[in-house]
Amino acid sequence: MFNKILIANRGEIALRVLRACRTLGVGAVVAYSEADRDSLAAQLADEAICIGPADARRSYLSAPAIISAAIVTGCDAIHPGYGFLSEDEAFAEVVRAHGLVFIGPPAEVLERFASKEATRRLLGGHGLPTIPGSGMLRDQAHALEEAERIGYPVLIKPSAGGGGKGMRLVRSARELETVFNVSRSEAKAGFGDDALYLEKYLDENRHVEIQVAVDRFGHAIHMGERDCSVQRRHQKIIEETPSPALSEATRADLCQRAVKAVVAAGYENLGTLEFLVDAKGDAYFIEINCRVQVEHPITELVTGIDMIALQIRIAAGETLGLSQSDVVSNGHAIEFRILAEDPSKDFRPASGRIGAYLAPGGPGVRMDSHLYSGYEVPPYYDSLLGKLAIWAPDRAQAIARADAALRELLVEGVSTNIELHRAILANQVFIDGRVTTNLLDRVGSAPFVAAGNR
Amino acid sequence: MSEASSSAGKEPREADGGTISAATARDHAAITRLAEDLLPALIAKLTASNLGEIEVRQGGWKARLRKPAGSDEARRAARAAAAAADGRGPGGRGSSLAIGSRGAEDTRRAREEAAAHEEPGHAAATSPAVGLFHPQKDLTVGMRVRSGDRIGTVDVLGVKQDVTSPVDGIIGSSLVEIGEAVEYGQELVRIELPERAVASAGAEQSVAGSRGKA
Repeated sequence: MFNKILIANRGEIALRVLRACRTLGVGAVVAYSEADRDSLAAQLADEAICIGPADARRSYLSAPAIISAAIVTGCDAIHPGYGFLSEDEAFAEVVRAHGLVFIGPPAEVLERFASKEATRRLLGGHGLPTIPGSGMLRDQAHALEEAERIGYPVLIKPSAGGGGKGMRLVRSARELETVFNVSRSEAKAGFGDDALYLEKYLDENRHVEIQVAVDRFGHAIHMGERDCSVQRRHQKIIEETPSPALSEATRADLCQRAVKAVVAAGYENLGTLEFLVDAKGDAYFIEINCRVQVEHPITELVTGIDMIALQIRIAAGETLGLSQSDVVSNGHAIEFRILAEDPSKDFRPASGRIGAYLAPGGPGVRMDSHLYSGYEVPPYYDSLLGKLAIWAPDRAQAIARADAALRELLVEGVSTNIELHRAILANQVFIDGRVTTNLLDRVGSAPFVAAGNR
Repeated sequence: MSEASSSAGKEPREADGGTISAATARDHAAITRLAEDLLPALIAKLTASNLGEIEVRQGGWKARLRKPAGSDEARRAARAAAAAADGRGPGGRGSSLAIGSRGAEDTRRAREEAAAHEEPGHAAATSPAVGLFHPQKDLTVGMRVRSGDRIGTVDVLGVKQDVTSPVDGIIGSSLVEIGEAVEYGQELVRIELPERAVASAGAEQSVAGSRGKA
């Protein structure tokens, strides 16, 4: 096991990793930017070090600053959290070159799974069902030809993009001609790579992902699935497990295939395989996330596994310590991303001073948040204030507990999306477990809140 | 800043008694306002914000507060601030802005708010990065430096980044050991401001002037 871990992230995940380190009896140093000097993680840590200014490029995205901080504080491993450098193979490689361990997949594994298009081919070859799509597009003529073969509507996707960023929906050949070059230059500007590919667009789909863990010795388990169909503009806001979209048979089949495929492809550490599930209940693999997910707490709630601790142990070269039969899923869990967004201003990210903060409690209620009364939410980073995760023996009780907890949750000083969450909980489509990824955007989030208030 | 705002309000009035001219009285009233109302408010505002600099003009007066680059701590903001007049007033103003008189209530207040535990008349060179600090070989206490002069380096994974003096001044005590690990923004070497800046008449010009280059 490691002696001391540098936590190179911020917000709630820095706190989550700090807690895992303490549970494991491993030392931890929180690396923070000047804007996060007063953050809860920096305050609670036994050791914290300022690595740069507010600008993430010179702090949380600066490999030299992070590695130097790890070395001067005597750390032997770096935990990147999610976002920032968590899936950056070049960073993982430099970390290793300095004699430190990157807590995540090894650099060569990250590299193998860096291209989504190549990953789909790789894992598709190992038995995962994949969505009909193209290879890398050579030019516009090639794009038109491929789109014809797949059938409209199609999505144009940048190979280097992620989290739904830079995608474009195209419903006809004519539309494709208009936007192809624009998409290409946008991808170049946004991700430094203009490689594009096409994918069949499933109008009414659900987002379901399978959590896997693989140790260095090729032992692998899955920890069931998460349904992340409640999205606003392709960003997940509510996640739950198990998914109301999958039948027992489909779930078991998908989980088994996922484990087989990642082992065959030489994956290592925690990973999440994302699938789109269409109206018929057929699942198509779309991408793999080589890091811990924001929504990992719901899997922890139903399985009882500390996933961050597991991730750290795998990176330290330990065996999984559990086999598939040890992973027993129990009950239902739902997570709500509490975001600093102003619903009255088109959900624009908000910042400011938290006047009062009160986390909810009660059976099955878990709040992962870095907030405290008087905390200043800096404007430089993402808008995640925390995650409310609810567990109950079944889905109906989880919804009831969630609503009670959301009513209790108090965040004063910045606008939040708490009311949107309550409105979704009260919506019949959600109650029936039929939410598709486009629902909120089709109805509009603001009308949703208004309807919920009536 | 704390020095500049010090006795500006009260002392001159006491010293000059009732013999001061109308123009001087106006100036003194302006200084009082500056010291007692404006500066504490500006310091508070600068501290709370992400701004690097605030400038306020009132009548013939101008007050400018500036944070040194790469820092948002109140005391540094206060230390680096410069209050300057536009040169319209009488020649006596320099001495009326006598710095370092510590008795006045507003001085204490301003210093408590802004200067925290720092002695007046100091600045500090801060670390540009996380790494190991090495002062220049020829660096000695008492040595004069100009703003921007290199006084050492921070070794970041074998790449040296310059540590520079933020002001014209005199090298004071070192706050870290040679080869010690330092974090971004950490104070490394004290820089004493030149004597005359702390004393009297020349204060305004020399302090304001040196900040101008910083």
